[in-house]
Amino acid sequence: MRERLPAAAVQNIKQKNNHAFTIEWSDGLVGDYRLSDLQKCCPCANCTDETTGKRLVDEKSIKHDVKAIRIVSVGRYALRVQFTSGCSTGIYDFDMLYKMARG
Amino acid sequence: MPLNIYQEATGHPLSNIKHVIAVAAGKGGVGKSSVTVNLALALKRLGYHVGVMDADIYGPSARKMLPEDRIPSQKGAIIQPALCQGIHMISMAYFRKEHEAAAIRAPIANGIITQFIQNVAWGPLDYLLIDFPPGTGDIQLTLSQQANLAGAIMVTTPQEVSVIDVRKAMHLFEQVKVPIIGIVENMSYYRHSPTDENIYLFGKGGGERLAREAGVPLLEMIPIDPCLCYSGDKGHSIFAAENTEADSIAKVFIALAKRVIEHMAMMKVQSGEGQTNFEIHWKEMT
Repeated sequence: MRERLPAAAVQNIKQKNNHAFTIEWSDGLVGDYRLSDLQKCCPCANCTDETTGKRLVDEKSIKHDVKAIRIVSVGRYALRVQFTSGCSTGIYDFDMLYKMARG
Repeated sequence: MPLNIYQEATGHPLSNIKHVIAVAAGKGGVGKSSVTVNLALALKRLGYHVGVMDADIYGPSARKMLPEDRIPSQKGAIIQPALCQGIHMISMAYFRKEHEAAAIRAPIANGIITQFIQNVAWGPLDYLLIDFPPGTGDIQLTLSQQANLAGAIMVTTPQEVSVIDVRKAMHLFEQVKVPIIGIVENMSYYRHSPTDENIYLFGKGGGERLAREAGVPLLEMIPIDPCLCYSGDKGHSIFAAENTEADSIAKVFIALAKRVIEHMAMMKVQSGEGQTNFEIHWKEMT
């Protein structure tokens, strides 16, 4: 059976500035997440074709200064961002966010 | 523009509950409800405040096994759970006659589960056991996303046909990062009383193999016991019956409850105090 738990857990999450938030992972890694970068890879069905994985939203249409209204956890494995642009259904799993922080 | 899916919330609706535990199998007929009800009674017996959410919308059976002393009531959007031998319980069975089918489509069933999570006034509880419906679909995902699950107890019977489906349910929990507390093998054996011999009617070792394969403990092996079956059908507690058969099966569930408590405590230490339930309201920063 594959690994059952995330490699690292979210130790702390906080707003960094008007356009980004920070996650401190339990193994000490710290990741800064710019909202516009996250929206560019939003996994929701409006932004990404579920079958082909093709992006349905033109990257250029995503504003660099997009903000959030709210960020909430989803179960024990992900978070959801309510962007000011209206998109609010994408589930960003912690594995994906951890990998983004690790680069 | 997509619909706004957020609702105003002041803290998680289940934040008064110390441990929310899924009792799941992925498969029907392995005894999830029987394990849930008797584990709840055992935890209650050990002095804990316990609740049961019967999330099987299409085939709720927990009410039959644990009849209520007080039916649930509703005031506005808030539902007061039923009270059954000191255990708080909510089930679709309270909203349908026993013989009536809940002929509803998945989005409605999902909405009911969301109401069970968000609108039931559980009060402070040590343990809320969620009796999962069979399968790995919409309802299971909603519960995994919204119910603040601390862990899952997997119930299986010994035969491989059962273990295959349980593996799938474990894979779902793996994907949503809900840790597996352990395996309960139900209907493990029948104790032939004249010879005191254990007869393995459904084969031997399925639960143990699964536990080893997944690297989780085998929490308990529950025998096939006519007394357990009779108590469930009659809605009698195995802890209230005064005979040696009931006493023997009650001891098995007390042992299971103690192992669950012990493993929950260990898991808490191992996983540290990572945040899994948060909400950030964006503020304008200067």
